[in-house]
Amino acid sequence: MGVRTLGKGFYCKLAWGNIRRSREVYLPYLIACAIIGGIYFLVCGFAMSKELQAVPGGESARALFQMGVMVFTVFAAGFLLSINRFLVKRRKREFGLYGVLGLSKAHVGRILLLENAIVLLGGLAFGLAFALVFGKLLFLLLLKLMHALPQNAFAPAPVAYLATAALFLGVYFISSLYNLAQVHLANPIQLMQCEKRGEKDSKLVVPMALLGAGMLGVAYYFAWTVENSGTAMGIFFILVLLVILATNLLFTSGSIAVLRTLRANRRFYYKPKNFVSVSGMFHRMRQNAASLATICILSTMFLVTLAGTLSLYLGQEKTLAMYYPYDAYASGYPIVLDPAAADAALSALAEQHGVVMHAEEDGLNYDVAEGAPNPNATVYPGSKLHLQAHSIELDGVLYFDLEGTEEACQAFLEQARELTMAVEDAEMGREVNYGYGISDIWSARQYNYATYGGLLFLGTFFAVLFLAVTVLMIYFKQITEGYEDKERFSILQQVGMDEAQVKAAINAQVLWVFFLPLATALLHMVFASRILTRMLQAFMLYDWVLVLCCAIGVCAAFALIYFIAYRMTARAYFKIVKR
Amino acid sequence: MELLKIQNVKKVYTTKLGLVQCVALKNVSFTVLEGEFVAIMGASGSGKTTLLNIIASLDKPTSGDVSLNGRSFASVPDGELSKFRRDNLGFVFQDFNLLDTFTLKDNILLPLVLSQTPVKQMESRLAPVAQMLGIDALLGKYPYEVSGGEKQRAAVARAVITDPQLILADEPTGALDSKASVNLLQNFRALNQQAGKTILMVTHSSMAASYATRVLFIRDGEIFAQLYRGEDDNRAFFDRIVANLSVLSDGGADIG
Repeated sequence: MGVRTLGKGFYCKLAWGNIRRSREVYLPYLIACAIIGGIYFLVCGFAMSKELQAVPGGESARALFQMGVMVFTVFAAGFLLSINRFLVKRRKREFGLYGVLGLSKAHVGRILLLENAIVLLGGLAFGLAFALVFGKLLFLLLLKLMHALPQNAFAPAPVAYLATAALFLGVYFISSLYNLAQVHLANPIQLMQCEKRGEKDSKLVVPMALLGAGMLGVAYYFAWTVENSGTAMGIFFILVLLVILATNLLFTSGSIAVLRTLRANRRFYYKPKNFVSVSGMFHRMRQNAASLATICILSTMFLVTLAGTLSLYLGQEKTLAMYYPYDAYASGYPIVLDPAAADAALSALAEQHGVVMHAEEDGLNYDVAEGAPNPNATVYPGSKLHLQAHSIELDGVLYFDLEGTEEACQAFLEQARELTMAVEDAEMGREVNYGYGISDIWSARQYNYATYGGLLFLGTFFAVLFLAVTVLMIYFKQITEGYEDKERFSILQQVGMDEAQVKAAINAQVLWVFFLPLATALLHMVFASRILTRMLQAFMLYDWVLVLCCAIGVCAAFALIYFIAYRMTARAYFKIVKR
Repeated sequence: MELLKIQNVKKVYTTKLGLVQCVALKNVSFTVLEGEFVAIMGASGSGKTTLLNIIASLDKPTSGDVSLNGRSFASVPDGELSKFRRDNLGFVFQDFNLLDTFTLKDNILLPLVLSQTPVKQMESRLAPVAQMLGIDALLGKYPYEVSGGEKQRAAVARAVITDPQLILADEPTGALDSKASVNLLQNFRALNQQAGKTILMVTHSSMAASYATRVLFIRDGEIFAQLYRGEDDNRAFFDRIVANLSVLSDGGADIG
């Protein structure tokens, strides 16, 4: 029976049948594909959007999204490929069966190619549909976050379609290669025999666990004690890597080491409840520790991303107040201003626009050792405040507040940017006209909202991605464990454990396995919040309480979502176990 | 002494709507004496597994009664059934039913742990049982690391470690090769003759049945014959069983 003799329809039927039969696995996969595809399309669309470019501050938001596209591509492709790997690995037995039934490897390969194509195409189609329906709404939401008014409706650029198609094509290509390799590398008997079994205990468990604990300790120590925002930025990614490695080691080796100790304590171990749950955990950790660690790390990424971008966004006004103790400041570059002349020129222009320019002397937010800064008082070593008629001068910069309608102020500032001052240039031997460097809180606010609003939006997209993959992994774990535990459940009952006992034991174990990653992620977050605060200081955000509130809020929201995901997937689990 | 008494047991399965009735057991009565090794033979679908499930208290008869050592199963409340099973019955299954999460040792100790036996007592009970079944060197291994025969001997150890009144075996040689089967059956015989255990084994292998002291034949939900070993050796008893099967099976029965 050659490959050619089987009609095309046969493969399609078989592939479609496979997907339908295991829809409890493929449907969530499809949803994940759709979410990833939809978000990717939107990120690309925003990055290339002319409509976004048109709004004030839109250029910086667009640049942000363009950077986001690159990172997103890596994550999206990585996630899709690893989900595929997970799904194919658990089907090895089925491939073996096909072999026994007389389908050649080429046949099986073709079926797999078709299945993969169906799921990815389906996911892509749903994702695009979703993105097209909600894209406009999300665009408005983005503009709202940016405090910008919409000028045109969002229409995704054709290049966004191309980029999304390219991502899925790439994923299809690589995952298909992997799947085919899986089928071709093994013979049917091997495939049939590759039932799940725990690996043997390794002697390295304790040293690995200690290594993990040590690495985590180091990472926590630095995260907690780092003082300087520059250093914090510098070491952050090293610490992230360290925590990822440490989490993996602790989940895979540390858990085994702890459970082994528990098991060695015979008085503890040989109690009905501990007996079943400790051994169950032991078994589970040997198989699934890696995926638990991944869930934990993804959760932490979700928390850090969202808490960071949310703090920045909400800390906006504080950051602005830090940069702008007065509404605006004027400086001369490259020359130094003549304070009195500049003060006079600016205030005269202000008057023309019906704007009052003034400055209270205590507005400067500098650390003053004692009492309010007097005129001509030393603010910090080597610098002095000089009170001018309508402004305060510090180190050659004039600070002032503006009073008037916002339009008038804007008009004044626009004019002021065109003011020039004539200065004798010694080198050129003649008078040269220099402009003022004027910076004001309104344009800064607009720029900041555009940037941080865009960042929060992008952060949320990433968070949704992490969340989708986390929930999917949890769900897959529950399903696979359900099938395993179903057997254990019935054997335990046959051996004389009553149903209530079995349920209690399995419940306890499910809870542990489920909430261990969450608890670890929250612990990571405690330490991450410290270094996050330090890093945000580079953005002039000095509000630890705000960062903490954001972190707590995000953690609470995440815990809630996690719990809901648990309840929903646990239902699927118990359905399988009781079937 | 009468250990197990089955009286007029009938089992009818009904579909959900009660439209179709399937009679699995018509009317079965027999007794097992203490120290007996009884084999129940029958073709697929003859009702032998249903009968075993009822004797194991995993299923309830539609009518009739089962009693162990004078105590009727019907008098045991549902909540105590697990404990009753744990204390009085030992099970050996065709596919071993060992838990992959436990080492052989822990698998064997499982029923003792469930009845909260002190650790010292568990260990002292384990040693002779493991030695007798020849698995003392394998106790630290996991089920997936040992052969089928070794798994089944561990399952037997788990069944006898609680010192039950009755050992129930469901096709215990069904998944074993002939050498492992003989080894296991010899273990059963030793348990029966030396340790005085009462064993009730369901099988459709005449070779397995020939190790028993008595064979009951079940067909279409009824006991229709029984053979006593008497003074026969294995070979002679085996021949009688096969002869009985071929006389009594109506042509096409798949008993081999």
